[in-house]
Amino acid sequence: MDGFPQATEAAIARWFGVVPPNDPGRRMAADLVHTIAAFEKLRGTMVFEDEPSSFEAALQATKETAP
Amino acid sequence: MTGLADLSLTEAAEAVRTGQATSRELLDACWTNLDKANPTLNATIWLDREGAEAAAKAADQAVADKKPLGKLHGVPMAHKDMYYQAGKLSTAGSALRRDWRPTITCTAVARMAAEGAYVFGGLNMAEFAQNPTGHNKTYGDCHNPWNPPRITGGSSSGSGAAVAARMTYAALGSDTGGSIRLPAAACGVTGIKPTQTRVSRYGAMPLSFTHDNVGPLTRTARDCARIMSVIAGHDPMDPTSAREPVPDYEAALTGDLRGLRIGVPTTFFLDNADAPVLAAMDEALKVLAARGATVTRMPLPLMDAVAAYGGIVSRVEAATIHAQWMRDDPQAYGQHISSRMYPGYAIPAPYYVEALSRRGPILRAFAAEVFSPVDVLVTPTIPTCIPTLAETDIDHGPPGTEYKFLAVSINTRPFNYLGLPAVSMNCGFDPNGCPIGLQIAGRPFAEARILAIADAYQRDTDWHTRRPPVLG
Repeated sequence: MDGFPQATEAAIARWFGVVPPNDPGRRMAADLVHTIAAFEKLRGTMVFEDEPSSFEAALQATKETAP
Repeated sequence: MTGLADLSLTEAAEAVRTGQATSRELLDACWTNLDKANPTLNATIWLDREGAEAAAKAADQAVADKKPLGKLHGVPMAHKDMYYQAGKLSTAGSALRRDWRPTITCTAVARMAAEGAYVFGGLNMAEFAQNPTGHNKTYGDCHNPWNPPRITGGSSSGSGAAVAARMTYAALGSDTGGSIRLPAAACGVTGIKPTQTRVSRYGAMPLSFTHDNVGPLTRTARDCARIMSVIAGHDPMDPTSAREPVPDYEAALTGDLRGLRIGVPTTFFLDNADAPVLAAMDEALKVLAARGATVTRMPLPLMDAVAAYGGIVSRVEAATIHAQWMRDDPQAYGQHISSRMYPGYAIPAPYYVEALSRRGPILRAFAAEVFSPVDVLVTPTIPTCIPTLAETDIDHGPPGTEYKFLAVSINTRPFNYLGLPAVSMNCGFDPNGCPIGLQIAGRPFAEARILAIADAYQRDTDWHTRRPPVLG
């Protein structure tokens, strides 16, 4: 590993004042490398106009009509 | 009248309405099973016997006085211990709220009370609704009624176990990543996660503002339909609740599946599924096909994005909500709770906003591609046979236990990110005697349709009527 776990723990402590609660927590934080990899694959899919509030509109746009 | 606890919710309400049974008799039937099974299952956190008896007496008096009776009149219930009732205990399954009493009452509970139901207790749950198994270090693990060393599913563990063991006619659960559907599957009952925004969340303990849902666990699809007809609909106290009209869910239960197009995913949902689970699903599909449905195997689009984005939203939100306790008293949580929240602090805000921003476009694209050729998706709720509590115990297990723990909810989480409604019901039993859950998901606000499918299935099968061995 390239120091990612240590850097992650340091960042959490610095930004939030939260320390690793236990070893499983350390392991799950280290597993964030997989999250990064997953987001890397998705780069380029978000467009400029995307905004969080569009979800409720999407629910309406895709909703069930009378079966 | 015998076997009162075996009645479904709708049958029990009808029995009270017509004078075939009193509310007090229903309550006593629940107590009998609770006294018998709960020492094994540990499904409750608190009970209010005196309050329940007074409520039953009042309900029976209303019948005698020929007052107007609601849809749930005289039916005793207990709920996951995170639904606030002013002045009553609400532990959220945590030592941190062992003595906490809210000052407000949850809209869903209030709406059911307005229809004549009453609450006799708070049910066991994962701490702060944060695990898919039913482990709880403060109040004790909840045990599966069909095979007690195995998990109940979570986080609405006590809701699943208590409904299965006939301790209650129904229970509210909450679903942020599968927490209604998982215990419904593992305990062999019926549970529905409504469309995001369908049911008010006012007075429900928050875990993830984006993914939280309120819904029922019952023994039948019709029972779920009855409760949904009471709790769904806009609530001024929860501005995020939809203004979408509430259909007559029970009227939709016709048994007619002619023309229904079922999609079975060939990607993601069947990965690493156990053979008994696949076999049970295939048999269930035959039952649905016999009623007129057609079945299409199909790949699903966008699942990498759904998994990646869906995987961080609730982690970030839970970490944010719990930040002060995670600073001040992290050891008050079970290890499996704090260890899951901890990485949430390291996820960058732009990732979180990207996940939220892509949710709408992904739903549109997913719905356009999936819900054109088919009307609903059918998958296993849990792709494996039900594991033991020991196999999934992060607090005491070896490194790597967390992967088995997290695998339990792999098939339910996607529908929380997509915001789609999904029901889980029993479709058989695994070699260990534990139930196998079938998940049916539909378009936004398709609760009537997916409940109708579950109801049609239950007309032709008897899995949902079977009694767990813990009842003797």
